Amino acid sequence: MERGLLISVDGVEGSGRTLHVEALKKWLEDMGYVVTTMGLQTSQLMSEPLSEVKRNIVFQRFTLFLAYATDLTDQAENVIRPSIKSGFIVIADGYANTLKAWALTRKLNHAWVDGVLSVLPKPDISISLISPPTVIVRRIIKKRGFLDPLTSAVDLCINEDLFHSFLRYVNKFQSNLTALTDGSGTVFRTNKTFDQTNKEIISYVEGFLKR
Amino acid sequence: MELKKRKGVIIALEGIDGSGKTSQAMLLRDWLSHKLDTFFTEWNSSEWVHKVIKEAKKKNMLTPSTFSLIHATDFADRYEKYILPMIKAGFIVVSDRYIYTAYARDTARGNDLNWVKNVYSFAVKPNLTFYIRVPVEIALSRIKENRRFIKPSEAGDGMFPHLTPEEGFIKYQSMVMDAYDRISKEEDFIMIDGTMSPREVQTKIRERIVDLLWKEDS
Ligand SMILES: Nc1ncnc2c1ncn2[C@@H]1O[C@H](COP(=O)(O)OP(=O)(O)OP(=O)(O)O)[C@@H](O)[C@H]1O
Ligand SMILES: Nc1ncnc2c1ncn2[C@@H]1O[C@H](COP(=O)(O)OP(=O)(O)OP(=O)(O)O)[C@@H](O)[C@H]1O
Ligand SMILES: [Mg+2]
Ligand SMILES: [Mg+2]
Repeated sequence: MERGLLISVDGVEGSGRTLHVEALKKWLEDMGYVVTTMGLQTSQLMSEPLSEVKRNIVFQRFTLFLAYATDLTDQAENVIRPSIKSGFIVIADGYANTLKAWALTRKLNHAWVDGVLSVLPKPDISISLISPPTVIVRRIIKKRGFLDPLTSAVDLCINEDLFHSFLRYVNKFQSNLTALTDGSGTVFRTNKTFDQTNKEIISYVEGFLKR
Repeated sequence: MELKKRKGVIIALEGIDGSGKTSQAMLLRDWLSHKLDTFFTEWNSSEWVHKVIKEAKKKNMLTPSTFSLIHATDFADRYEKYILPMIKAGFIVVSDRYIYTAYARDTARGNDLNWVKNVYSFAVKPNLTFYIRVPVEIALSRIKENRRFIKPSEAGDGMFPHLTPEEGFIKYQSMVMDAYDRISKEEDFIMIDGTMSPREVQTKIRERIVDLLWKEDS
């Protein structure tokens, strides 16, 4: 049996990750592939505990980082490795680069972050989604109804209103993500229509599969 | 004697299960808390991660990497919430097991030592680390005398499914002890013979703490 592969889709909240993962999954399934999805905070081990306590530990960056690293590693061992072994395609809705960009934007040491996450399998295809911060904020507000301080980097917001602070956060996050993607993946801008971005992603993945 | 002016202090106790760490830590805490602001913390006791670990072990969900990372999460939670602020505020933190427990246990499970060291490198090293060293057989006999059963975690948590709990204890604790012995020198462990009476062990520990915290009268 042929070995499967891992496609990671990274980006800040509101970048369009989930939507593009679903669309890519559907396209791959139509092409006849078996596709499994996983992603940040969906492990059996950590997703429930994390959603319960996340709001109480917004300022504990090492704890949060390690909890997410545990979450991804649990899925690496229970989902990614077995699926790839069976010849499936795994799509990650938020993977190492999303977590790394989160951490670097909070000034955690790059070598430390890389070292901790070195136990994770490297993606075969790495896709990062970025959009102008104002577009991101508008999407989040549309979807959730408001900007939730606790998921909008309130830990980095000092002496500033949350809205502007969050814009700057998204900006830094995305420049970190772009740097992380450089050389090992491709950045797609999602400030176009969904169909346009979707087409670009699919032709990129298609190109890879034809190789 | 006059107290030295210094920031907070962290004192760690390490050793295999049954070596006497908790007994010593309690004596130490009671003695210190009369004179100084003291905080006691033990391994695997984060208010929320502890429950997750317990559940995961019951369901046999952990692999060597997730075993290591989830214990690191537990440690980080206590470190960021209690240990670091306490040290900064000038407390004496008495830690029943510290990062070296992870070095020893995680490598016994097959994780790479340098990887484990990196995971825990965000934590400050203790001012003093007491390594209470007791032969595995003595630790086992103490545990059997006092509670008559061996916890799965003391026998490697499923690492040796074919061994009896006692055999598992001997095997696992020997691996952990070897790991402690290997890092003892480079991590400046103060090795203490744990087969002495609790009182003698405590005296040795206090001698070193007096040196650290109080000025010599000269
Ligand atoms: N080109 C585009 N690509 C993706 N999403 C777009 C695009 N243009 C507009 N959108 C809108 O942006 C929103 C993205 O939401 P989605 O849940 O996919 O993002 P996400 O990054 O997964 O965020 P979350 O982390 O909240 O799940 C959708 O409501 C979608 O309609
Ligand atoms: N120096 C000693 N001599 C004899 N028995 C001792 C000594 N110190 C402790 N004990 C006994 O040995 C048992 C284990 O001691 P203790 O719980 O302090 O060890 P521990 O290192 O904390 O173990 P664990 O890692 O399992 O928590 C206890 O029943 C205790 O009363
Ligand atoms: Mg999403
Ligand atoms: Mg104990």
